[in-house]
Amino acid sequence: MILSPRDQITTPQATVIVINFILGTGLLTLPRSSAEKAHTPDVWISVILGGVIAIIAGVIIVKLGQQFPKKTFYQYINEIVGKWVGGLLNLAIICYFLMTSGFQLRSMAEVIRYFLLQGTPTWAITMTFMWVSLYLIIGGINPIARLFEIILPLTVILFLVVSFMSIKIFEINNLRPVLGEGVIPVLKGVKTTALAFTGPEIMLLLIPFMNQPKKAVKAVLVGVSISLIFYVITVVMVIGALSVDGVAMRTWPTLDLIRSFEVSGLIFERFESLLLVVWIMQIFSTFTITYYAASLGLAQLSKKSIQPFMFGLLPILYIIAMIWKNVNDLFKFGDFIGNFALFLFGLLPLLLLIISRIKGGKYETIT
Amino acid sequence: MKQSHSHIRPLFISISALLFLSLTGCWSSHEIEEQSLVIGLALDKGKQSSIEKKLNEQGEGYSKRNLITATYQFITPEVASSTTKQAGPQQKSYVNASETGDSNHQIVRELSLRSEQPLTGYHMKVVVISEDLAKSYKLEQLLNQNLRDSEVRLSCLVLISKGKASKTLETKTAGGIPAFRLVGIVENAYRSTRILPPMSYTKVESKIQSESSFLLQNVLSANGEVKFAGAAVIDGKTHTMTGFLNEEELEGITWITGKGKGGVVKSFDKETGQLFVYEIESMKSSIIPRVTGNNISFDVNIESDGRLSENWVLSGNAFESEFLKKAEKSFENEVKRLVGNVIEKMQKEYRVDVAGFGNHLRIENPKVWKKVKKDWDQTFSETPINYHVKLTIKDYGTLGS
Amino acid sequence: MIMKDWISKINKTGKVTNNDKQEASTSQGTTGQFTDNFILNLEMVRQEIGHNWDVHFREFNLGRTGIRSIIIFVDGLSDKDLIDKHIMPSLMVDFSAEYKQNLPSFKEGISKEFIKNQVLSISDVEEVRSSKELASKVLTGSTALIIDGLLDAQILGTTKLKTRTIEEPVSEALVRGPRVGFTESLSDNTSFLRGSGEIENLSLVKFQVGKRSKKDLVVAYIKDIVDPELVQEIENRIKKIDIDNVPESGYVEQLIEDNYLSPFPQVQNTERPDRVIAALMEGRVAILLDGTPFALIAPVTLSMVLQSPEDYYERWIPGTFIRMLRYLAAILALFTPSLYIAFISFHSGLIPTKLAISIIGTRSGVPFPALIEALFMEISIEILREAGLRLPKPIGPAMGIVGGLIIGEAAVQAGIVSPVLVIVVALTAISSFSIPQYSTGFTLRILRFPAMLCAATFGLYGVILFFLFMASHLVKLKSFGVPYLSPAVPYRLSEWKDLMIRMPLMMMKRRPKMMHTKNPIRKG
Repeated sequence: MILSPRDQITTPQATVIVINFILGTGLLTLPRSSAEKAHTPDVWISVILGGVIAIIAGVIIVKLGQQFPKKTFYQYINEIVGKWVGGLLNLAIICYFLMTSGFQLRSMAEVIRYFLLQGTPTWAITMTFMWVSLYLIIGGINPIARLFEIILPLTVILFLVVSFMSIKIFEINNLRPVLGEGVIPVLKGVKTTALAFTGPEIMLLLIPFMNQPKKAVKAVLVGVSISLIFYVITVVMVIGALSVDGVAMRTWPTLDLIRSFEVSGLIFERFESLLLVVWIMQIFSTFTITYYAASLGLAQLSKKSIQPFMFGLLPILYIIAMIWKNVNDLFKFGDFIGNFALFLFGLLPLLLLIISRIKGGKYETIT
Repeated sequence: MKQSHSHIRPLFISISALLFLSLTGCWSSHEIEEQSLVIGLALDKGKQSSIEKKLNEQGEGYSKRNLITATYQFITPEVASSTTKQAGPQQKSYVNASETGDSNHQIVRELSLRSEQPLTGYHMKVVVISEDLAKSYKLEQLLNQNLRDSEVRLSCLVLISKGKASKTLETKTAGGIPAFRLVGIVENAYRSTRILPPMSYTKVESKIQSESSFLLQNVLSANGEVKFAGAAVIDGKTHTMTGFLNEEELEGITWITGKGKGGVVKSFDKETGQLFVYEIESMKSSIIPRVTGNNISFDVNIESDGRLSENWVLSGNAFESEFLKKAEKSFENEVKRLVGNVIEKMQKEYRVDVAGFGNHLRIENPKVWKKVKKDWDQTFSETPINYHVKLTIKDYGTLGS
Repeated sequence: MIMKDWISKINKTGKVTNNDKQEASTSQGTTGQFTDNFILNLEMVRQEIGHNWDVHFREFNLGRTGIRSIIIFVDGLSDKDLIDKHIMPSLMVDFSAEYKQNLPSFKEGISKEFIKNQVLSISDVEEVRSSKELASKVLTGSTALIIDGLLDAQILGTTKLKTRTIEEPVSEALVRGPRVGFTESLSDNTSFLRGSGEIENLSLVKFQVGKRSKKDLVVAYIKDIVDPELVQEIENRIKKIDIDNVPESGYVEQLIEDNYLSPFPQVQNTERPDRVIAALMEGRVAILLDGTPFALIAPVTLSMVLQSPEDYYERWIPGTFIRMLRYLAAILALFTPSLYIAFISFHSGLIPTKLAISIIGTRSGVPFPALIEALFMEISIEILREAGLRLPKPIGPAMGIVGGLIIGEAAVQAGIVSPVLVIVVALTAISSFSIPQYSTGFTLRILRFPAMLCAATFGLYGVILFFLFMASHLVKLKSFGVPYLSPAVPYRLSEWKDLMIRMPLMMMKRRPKMMHTKNPIRKG
């Protein structure tokens, strides 16, 4: 597949893609999943640490990619480890993207069905969602980036509005004492929180599309940091209002936070609709970019055009989303994907970077 | 460079297929005017109403134990249209319906057998649980369905009632809606120290999960009138109601926690026996745990600013600071009395900590808290508490003497 | 031999039958080229256009000579004044004077140079060599002059179309701004562009479109600002127009736009010269078509179709306020009915309790679900609007009152619709009318309906999906290479000065980057 030269994205666009990828289901479940492990209100520190880890991983990925500025990961992996291992790794990454898409799709369907549309069959919800996504990615990376640039400011504004409303029921005492139980619980929580930051791996295939690949490091840095701020605010507000014990038992704590207060007089009175709007758009963006990444991978692996894969992946994604029988299975799937990601994007890029550096500067001439 | 449309056709085909399928139903659509909005719920000990008895005699009933009588207060479309179209003043603005059974959810669904408009819980504002029920069943069992439900919002308030809860949901005022009235009174917290900060489902649940004891506001009812009076003590371990604080004791609690936003303190001048009243503008309290070895004690420092708002002491001249000082001392003593009373009750009679002492210990000395948190209520009953009160009269209104 | 037959035939009837036509053409060739035979030439012309009742043939002799000539013109299209006062005198009265003076050199006849240079006191003179060309010129208002002995016919520019007086365009009225609008005459319009002040490097390039009814089309741009690729692209597309008649610029718009399937206009149309000039200054290209006052501007982005020149004529604070109001109106126009349906039919829990109760109260008698109600009212409003356009002036306003108040009020009283819906529909209608560009307002009105259907099937989720779908479409749409949603996306902060807010003029120093202009700084 030839990367058409016109399909370029700017550095801010790359940043926006990273942010939108990272923010997804985590917005709703992070407070619980991290509080479950750590049992202390200090999980916001775990979140920050998790973010730092993600930044490091992201930078490694970028450095790896910058050695091959015009190629995506799918294309240059062969040069590092050879055709067979490379092909296998490619398949693994494609599977990861597919699984993430399916997971996001199903979580979205679950929340929508429960909170907004009680009687609607799941297939209607998922299929319309997938179709809009398909319509978008057919245009290539550029429309995707542009749409993300529209979604992001909306997300930011609505999210901040909603968070600040919840100050009404916020109790600082729920967050104290800081580090009351020591650092160990904080560290326990880091594993879960780091996994909420899966997203920078998209840089594996974004670098060749960027019109200034040198700035990719900046893009990752800014991208992860902004998502970090979002997550910290979420965790702080949720735990501040619900307290650690309250959070541990709720399935979708952030949503519960918004439902816990009413501001009478202000237009809506109930603001969970705003949060749901934000969240649907974020899931849409995560789903779209992973969908695109998987299609791109398959296309580059088989050296064919991308469009048949885009259509062909539709039923596969649907199946992946629908397999899980209940919400618990879904969450376990999510954890599995997280662990998979840890290996694929935590360890692997580092290994590859080392190998490629060892193999010497012969790659540097290919620019 | 016109845009290529080579991929339009498969897109069109897929979207048409999708659209045709979707048009078959607007599955979740429930028109708003076909629903009844539940705005309040009262839970009483199971006792069938006369209608139920009659219906049961005719039908065969279903398997249930008559544990709970749930009274739902809702607004039906007829009621709503009559209020908006300004019908006669005698019209009631709400409807109450009761059902008896053992499962909350089943009871709600029972009501769908009796009325054509299904109930929706999105707008439920308040839940009143009667004393008897609260004493016999765990709170989280009674509220379980609501806490799980996606419809009922977690902002719903929880109140306890002495006597029948369903009576608090009745009113004789034309056009009045009892559930809204209850919620409205909660918002009067800035006018009295006898109103607790609102306990919503969220807060109740956090307290239950953390196994700490807490208070729930109590409501009395008589003849269609209600009054907020006192609070019920919910034990952290059993999650049932184990005690009751009367109005003055509740005042004491408000002073201890420092969460009051307004109110009055009445006191009597020692010399003349006349009363004067202090209006609270702001109050603040800090609870400081002191740990020495294995001994825990608490210092409570209460401060408040306010004004002299009513003075029956004829010889008192507010322009003189002597008098003001005397008044201050008198008020401080009154507050001390309230605080002392309630601490006594908490520690000796009910043996629970409902004023948040444990919380402060947790924040200041987490290590110690870890050790004592299991049986905190017991430990608390033996912890000495020292309290100091400092009141400042900032002004005295527009009248000097 | 042939000629004799013809002369006799002319003398009899003045008409030529088909057979003769064929004979004539076979001997002349199919081009209708003029020969040196005056009568033959005349015959060819008469075949071509003689059957039209408004084509007049005036034969005369040049001055005091015996040289036959004829002028051919269309009554109504030509400037009779010019013909009577300048052409005829110069050929009949004054000619003799010249002729006499230069008598020695004119023994054999006259030459066309002499006629053109010395005799015809007209500013606009051309030559044609065939009857076809002559016919097309005459039929557009010029006067043809055929002189015995000359191979060419002279075409004198006497076109005088009846044009309107200049008035403010009805569809784009402003509170503050020049009350000038384009007219149907292309030359008038281009004169507006040249304007009361000189625009440096303004280029006006002419094309002809329409195979049968050839219309003049002018492409205007400022040579040292515009991106030459853009001009090339536009000219290419215009050249590719292959249709027999182009009555209005709308046809041109539809034939050169990028994506005919999109509901959004990719070419802007306007009747205001000030708008066109502002656009040219930004590096865009304007297209003017003879016969219509609506000029086209390309490329266009979404923000441009939501702007009005008034934003710039007022100071920046009112300008910003009005602009933000307009964006809000656009969103309201699009989403209000669908949000209404979503909340009423699906998510009654998301609206405030008191509002929910009053809505229940007012809706309890209504027999229809929210979607049917909304569709009913929206479609009625559309029909009313359409009808209002066709009504004669005296009835128009009254119809508005009838439609709005009485029908709406009556519908509520009858219990067919709820009062809340009437407010929603009215708000939507008013919002959509506040969009300055008529085509865009229309687009928003149309898009309301799919939004309502999405809301009716999936509630709030449907509205969100619809928004995402529309945003995806807009993000892919390009107008002549410029992404439709510039300058909002991709992010270019320096361009946001003119997007939602309108920064003071002092701060808007650069031309929009998206136009890839050659001359980025406005001042000088």
